Amino acid sequence: MRPWHWMSLVLLAALSLFAEFAMPHDAEHWWSVVPGFFMLFGFVGCLVIIFFSKALGKLFLQQDEDYYDDL
Amino acid sequence: MISELPVPPWLFLIGGALILPVLPKLLRSPAFLLTSLLSMAFVWFIPEGARFEVPFASYTLILCQMDQLSRVFGTIFALIAFAGGVYGFRVQSTGEQVAALLYAASALGVTFAGDYVTLFFFWELMAVSSTYLVWARRTVESQRAGIRYLLVHLFGGSLLLAGILLHTVKTGTILISAFEPDASASAWLILGGVALNAAIPPLHAWLVDAYPRATVAGAVFLSAFTTKAAVYVLVRIFPGWDILIAFGVLMALYGVVYAVLANDIREILAYHIISQVGYMVAGVGIGTEMSLNGTTAHAFSHILYKALLFMGAGVVLHTTGRSKLTELGGLARAMPAVLALYMVGAFSISGFPLFNGFISKGMVVSAAAEAHFEIAVLLLHLASVGTFLHTGLKLPYFTWFAEESTALPTKTPPSMLVGMSIVAFFCALFGIAPSLLYRHLPFNASFEPYTIPHLVETTQLLVFTFMSFWVFRRHLRGEFTISLDTDWLYRKPARVVNRSVVLSAGAFFDAAERIAETVVKQLTIILGNPWPRTRGIFQHEWGANVPAAFEPNAARPPMEKVIALVLACFLLAALLSVAR
Repeated sequence: MRPWHWMSLVLLAALSLFAEFAMPHDAEHWWSVVPGFFMLFGFVGCLVIIFFSKALGKLFLQQDEDYYDDL
Repeated sequence: MISELPVPPWLFLIGGALILPVLPKLLRSPAFLLTSLLSMAFVWFIPEGARFEVPFASYTLILCQMDQLSRVFGTIFALIAFAGGVYGFRVQSTGEQVAALLYAASALGVTFAGDYVTLFFFWELMAVSSTYLVWARRTVESQRAGIRYLLVHLFGGSLLLAGILLHTVKTGTILISAFEPDASASAWLILGGVALNAAIPPLHAWLVDAYPRATVAGAVFLSAFTTKAAVYVLVRIFPGWDILIAFGVLMALYGVVYAVLANDIREILAYHIISQVGYMVAGVGIGTEMSLNGTTAHAFSHILYKALLFMGAGVVLHTTGRSKLTELGGLARAMPAVLALYMVGAFSISGFPLFNGFISKGMVVSAAAEAHFEIAVLLLHLASVGTFLHTGLKLPYFTWFAEESTALPTKTPPSMLVGMSIVAFFCALFGIAPSLLYRHLPFNASFEPYTIPHLVETTQLLVFTFMSFWVFRRHLRGEFTISLDTDWLYRKPARVVNRSVVLSAGAFFDAAERIAETVVKQLTIILGNPWPRTRGIFQHEWGANVPAAFEPNAARPPMEKVIALVLACFLLAALLSVAR
């Protein structure tokens, strides 16, 4: 990831925020009125998915590759 | 109305499967492509409402019945059969090609079936022909996985058959029509059989067990047909069944959780089939015209991008012989074209604007929002995050970037690249011009994907998912483990069951046979012709001519004569009946 990669991502995010404010739409759901809701949702959602799944994996899901001694 | 159309579209594929083995080797792959093109042409040229009926006992079988829903599914099945044929042009064995043609034919058969008997026939043909695509990889693992796959599908088929029989007995008709929600026991049984093929947890484990072990090209066909044919049946028979919303959302997240843990690239993709089919199942459950259109469109899009993703993963496996993230990495320079084409599929499944996932996934989510299933909407968004995280970031990052691996890829066969390009073209085409797909959707609901709110939420989700991935990416590195899934329930006890049921029964019969044999031997000696014994007394040679045991060869000549006599009688009887 070079600096200009990050720059363009930030630019995109800024653009989406601008669009959200500049063109207000009907607040259909409670999250429609939270600015940048899906930024937070994307970042936190990703975290939740990674660590929830890994925790489940460590708890009991993950096993050695030769776990099944199939017939 | 015996036949308003000349032939059902699947007939070409079955015909192709029959003649393919006797064609010269050079012509087999072209014949594969030709038959799939022909079937696609017929999917398109058969007029709406046309039927192909044949009488069957006291019922009428509707082998083929055309409406808009069937046509959309039929089109994509035929298209992917063609693209898969191009992809496998040089790498598929003849057996695989025959199996793939039969598999495509049965998927089309299910799609156009107008009655349950035809549906069931093709349902079972689909299970059997697809099993060969797993076996054809010819590893010990694939043979075992194939057997499990087949057994599970036969179980699902029996549920379906039980439901069909019950339904037929009760209603007296075999015609397919939609069930009212919670209609009857027969509807639930049919739903069970269909849910198994749609890979709805807990009936899904066969998919992630078998697909990663199938052949390189076989996995492409597998990813397209079985689950989506089941989705078609769900749309046809179970629209508006509320329970499917919950199961669909559960599926969408279930696949995501397991994809975090998966190490095999095709297993990651397989778990994401479950996740994506979750959107479709939820769409069926919502049951509005918009959501059913969304399900249909998403199935269409999904078949394209998922085939493309499996093609990309297949190239990696084909050229390096490896498929585990822990053994891959740094391959981007060796196969830039494959990476680029794979990423088209990854962008599509992740719902990037201008790719086909965006225009279909949005429909299902919007339908859920319109029907005020707010929790479902948010959870489906979460599944979207997971989809981009795994298919769009984790898999390509650890396969083509990250640390260099020791893998030395061979050259990618051009036919594989051509196959991928065809599918990638359609992924982009329908993303850029969604009306090409929308105008063929079966229900009457309009949807505009490129709106500001939709673009805003997608951009925000994707950009921040990427940032989160980049920060925490080292946690996603592959691990040398497998993950327990519901197949544990039938794999772990298999050895015990085998020992207690199969081996012990075998031992019992062996023992019984030994005892019987001993008894017979003794009896033959005791009850044998007493004359030799008496002779023995006179000659004072006890046991000299006593037969030691039953000698089967001694008994054979008389039997020959008896059999000859019986045959002669048959011959005589036949001659007499002819003469008369």
